[in-house]
Amino acid sequence: MKTRRRNYNEDEIKDRLSDLPDCVLLHILSFLSAKESVQTCVLSTRWKNLWKYLPTLTLTSYPQFKTLKGFTNFVSRILSLRDHSTALHTLHFHRHGIVQPHLLQRIIKYAVSQNVQQMCIHVYCDIEHFPPCFFSCQTLTSLTLYVEQPGIFPQRTLFSYSLNMPALTSLTLSFFNFRGGAEPFLACPKLKRLFISDCDVLDKQNLYISSTTLVDLTIHCYPWNEIKFSLCTPSLCSFTFRGNPVQKLCESNNNLSSIKYLNIHVRMGSNFAETSLVLLNWLQEVATIKSLTISSTTLHILSLARDILKVEFPFFCNLKSLKVNKKWSRNSFIPDGIVKYLLRKSPLAEFEFIDHSREGLLGW
Amino acid sequence: MAAEKSSIKIITLIAADGSVFEVEPNIVKEMKTVQSYIDELDQNTVSIPLPNVFGNDLAMIIEYCKKHASEEETKEAKEEFDFEFVKRMKSDDKLRLLQAASYLNMESFLQFMAKAIAAEIENQSVEFVRDYFQIESDFTPEEEAELRKENEWAFK
Repeated sequence: MKTRRRNYNEDEIKDRLSDLPDCVLLHILSFLSAKESVQTCVLSTRWKNLWKYLPTLTLTSYPQFKTLKGFTNFVSRILSLRDHSTALHTLHFHRHGIVQPHLLQRIIKYAVSQNVQQMCIHVYCDIEHFPPCFFSCQTLTSLTLYVEQPGIFPQRTLFSYSLNMPALTSLTLSFFNFRGGAEPFLACPKLKRLFISDCDVLDKQNLYISSTTLVDLTIHCYPWNEIKFSLCTPSLCSFTFRGNPVQKLCESNNNLSSIKYLNIHVRMGSNFAETSLVLLNWLQEVATIKSLTISSTTLHILSLARDILKVEFPFFCNLKSLKVNKKWSRNSFIPDGIVKYLLRKSPLAEFEFIDHSREGLLGW
Repeated sequence: MAAEKSSIKIITLIAADGSVFEVEPNIVKEMKTVQSYIDELDQNTVSIPLPNVFGNDLAMIIEYCKKHASEEETKEAKEEFDFEFVKRMKSDDKLRLLQAASYLNMESFLQFMAKAIAAEIENQSVEFVRDYFQIESDFTPEEEAELRKENEWAFK
């Protein structure tokens, strides 16, 4: 080893990094793709085998790999060569193009056998190819699942499973069809956060979201696809919704008084009168909220409901914060008087207009 | 134990260059190295020397801890703060703060710095990463070529 000056200049950075324990370097590598992590093997002797102890694997075919064959080979190699006594804490797996069933099964079976805690899977395949152990993974705490059904056009996958994941606290499901009347989250006794994005329910029926532990629910759907759902969620505290409300939030015997934060963006649908009445119905159901964040479009619909339909709004006795969010709406114009009217209905509330232009990417 | 902790009003942190910082107990909760030191003591005021952390860095770490410990700040405000916090740092600052986070045993700040450093080396060549960390390779060119060949599957 060469001797180096040890004073407070750039040379010292080198020593400082060298002095850090391997676990800190692994922290850095955990934020990189698995391919980049393995490539650090040529940096120096210290880094030669470090990648084998990565607790996080980010396996993404694009843009890291020139060919899908190269990606498949990479996945197969890293699974064989990594240190199997190091638990695989987090797996991100995103493959473009139809995934081979054997590859999918191998990676998922491996992750489950390694007591994986967080998984983010985005694949193009028949969900039947997922190994059964996946749906009853005992260690998983966080799951993001996006499965596209192969076909000429992208098709939603039928989610006909009941997840049996006792440790799961956070779940994101994108691009699925649920069976009418299904209650898919009953066997997740610890579920706290649920995000349902761009999903549909078959036969114009309800999706039942029943969970005694759920505190945070987000539902996003596109204007052309109205999802029917019914909540039985006595602990729900925060509810975020983007789409068109089509019916009451919950059925007769349940109540939603636990909801404190409502964040809502309703688009101007084809049937404005119906949409606005359902929206008002929602506000009746959650009238004890503390915080309401609405898009300017939603405010527009509420304004029309007041002026044209002459409906009386509920009294928001606990509302402390009323925010109008511009970032989800193209049209940021706020109709005259509606804010004042809402504030009259909520004597404790403070009003704020938020405009996160930096976060504008979320808008559509 | 809870009673002992609550009796401490102010904690004095002394950086490597002698600069002194007085902070509330909740600010150092994230610094496990400092916290375990406090837990062992039974007195009202505590003064802790941190010979491995410079004053400028400690000031930044305390600023970060204050923001994140605040219950009044919204999630969005904290994210905005994080964004600006990283933006104003140079590479050297990030590496020094990572070092400090490791020494102070700060879990979430360490993650935060690791992520900021990862963002700098992401999508960069091996040569760039070597240069960035100022790693002097101890491989001969032949050994490196051999390694690249052995792990060819990761270099395609």
